[in-house]
Amino acid sequence: MAEEIRAPMAGKILQVNISAGDKVQEDDELFVIEAMKMENPIYAPISGTVKEVKVKEGDKVEEDDLLAIIE
Amino acid sequence: MRPYFEKMKEFGRELKETQKKRTEENAKQIKEEEEKIAKEAEKIKEFGIPTEKINQRGQLTVFQRIEYLVDPGTFRPLHTFYNPADNKDCFTNVVDGLAKISGKWVVLIGFDNKYMAGAWVPGQPENIFRATDLAKRLNIPLVWLVNCSGVLLTEQEKFYAGRRGSGTTFFRHAELEQMGIPIIAGIFGTNPAGGGYQAISPTILIAHKDANMAVGGAGIVSGMSPKGKFDLETAEELIEIAKKYKEKPPGRVEIHYNETGFFRHVFDDEKEVLDCIKEYVKKLPAYDLDFFRVAKPKPPKFSSEDLYYLLPINQKRTYNFDEIIARLVDGSEHMEFRPDYGPEVYTGLAKVNGLLVGIIGNRQGLMPKNYPEYANYPGIGGKLYRQGLIKMNEFVTLCGRDRIPIIWFQDTTGIDVGDLAEKAELLGLGQSLIYSIQQTDIPMMLVVLRKGTAAAHYIMGGPTANRHNAFTLGTVCTEIYVMHGETAAVATYTRRLIKAKESGQPLEPIIEKMNELVKKYYDTSRPLFCAKLGLVDEIVSLKDIRTYMETFAEAVYQNPRSICPHHQMMLPRIIKG
Repeated sequence: MAEEIRAPMAGKILQVNISAGDKVQEDDELFVIEAMKMENPIYAPISGTVKEVKVKEGDKVEEDDLLAIIE
Repeated sequence: MRPYFEKMKEFGRELKETQKKRTEENAKQIKEEEEKIAKEAEKIKEFGIPTEKINQRGQLTVFQRIEYLVDPGTFRPLHTFYNPADNKDCFTNVVDGLAKISGKWVVLIGFDNKYMAGAWVPGQPENIFRATDLAKRLNIPLVWLVNCSGVLLTEQEKFYAGRRGSGTTFFRHAELEQMGIPIIAGIFGTNPAGGGYQAISPTILIAHKDANMAVGGAGIVSGMSPKGKFDLETAEELIEIAKKYKEKPPGRVEIHYNETGFFRHVFDDEKEVLDCIKEYVKKLPAYDLDFFRVAKPKPPKFSSEDLYYLLPINQKRTYNFDEIIARLVDGSEHMEFRPDYGPEVYTGLAKVNGLLVGIIGNRQGLMPKNYPEYANYPGIGGKLYRQGLIKMNEFVTLCGRDRIPIIWFQDTTGIDVGDLAEKAELLGLGQSLIYSIQQTDIPMMLVVLRKGTAAAHYIMGGPTANRHNAFTLGTVCTEIYVMHGETAAVATYTRRLIKAKESGQPLEPIIEKMNELVKKYYDTSRPLFCAKLGLVDEIVSLKDIRTYMETFAEAVYQNPRSICPHHQMMLPRIIKG
């Protein structure tokens, strides 16, 4: 089962804490997005393996943009 | 009402090792800042004459008196750094806080006899009024350690007279007594004039054998006609008269114990005076807290050590506010009020040492989609929107009805602004919250976890709620300002930038001024600066937040002026449905 991690709002990718192949636990911090002048962490909704990371630090993203896939 | 309160819903989650590892640096930074504050706090003990010299005179210092007097480990200092007049050789020359004496909470305050024999100094009246206001708000006794040489004569114009001068204290004392709040005083040292009134205005006077109190002191050499100025001749004359002048200070024990009886008791040893204070506090009425408890006290399920990992010192970083509260309330249990409404604000009932309190605080982070409902922009925690304001108004009003004290937590960047916000009535809702607070007449306390900004700092139980806010705590992450410094610089200088650009003038001087303003805002919003000006009453470590909450809850329920029986409360029923 693959879980898509999407941007909850438009912003800039400040931190990417994962790479493809990493094992993650639920609630692990995957990214930090700067939005509305705040640094907002994005947490893993499930435990699993990172299949793909679609963004890098500095990227601008829109709401719902795909950031990563976890299996 | 046992089914409501004995076991409430648990909330919060265990901190994972990966989370701890990720925020290790944050924990380290906060602890380093707390150590710096703790070191600064030690400095107040160095003002004036060294402790050894005071002890050699057969006296204890105010710190030693406090340590002997209070139940071990129960002194909760307040106003440690308060120095609104920016005195250089002392702060306010009084030491105060909440303390347990003989098992009962009191407001405790004493003159620092190490500096100028406990003189009145600039800024001190405001400190004293905070103590008398605290006793009034919590309806608990005031205990004074009086050792007051009176006015610091070289600066009298700053505090002797006026509506809020040193003399106002005596009217505050009379006010407390009119309300049935006793003031128990230990009298030490020489207390002339202003010191005389400090000594006579409490309810019960317990004196040391060497103490005196009087309308006027012995230091005024009489018999010299005023000449308009001093010169060498006058100085020589003064020296001669003063050498012969051997009068004892008036108002000694021989007068005020033997003759007037103002001193209720006199003791040879300072510790005996303090023991007598303990005996008098035993005589005072206080509820056994079990009368009001809704459940047995229990510690939070999660350690307060977690707070160092949960609260980011980086102001831009969001966090989960509910996880913070789960470390501060009994059993990490709560009854949340309107969880599906006003998501930017937490409101709920919880227990602190088995006593029911209301908790209100700012949530952080991104808000759900399409919130706020009246706007076309997303919502962010820290800001206040229509639903959150309505929810707080409701919760505060119901806490008032149910006589439940409120503990506020602030980390706010302000109320939403703009025409959409105005159409959504936010200006009116903000003042409505002020009105709601004012009409409750219940004690409140505030913890400014991080930011206190703009009107949100006022309306969320801020110190501006003079009649309700008992005290305000800050942390090492606290910043208080009307707006962020960069926003202020933009507001102040953008027009000038435009004018300069249009007229071909260099922008650099204006940019420099903007950066100076940003620095000024930074410097004047640091925790120690806030404590110095009294924007917060004390900076506490994260692990001590719970300690002060326990003190507040116990003090509130010790002598409440009004009671709502548990089975007549509405809030728990409204929450349960």
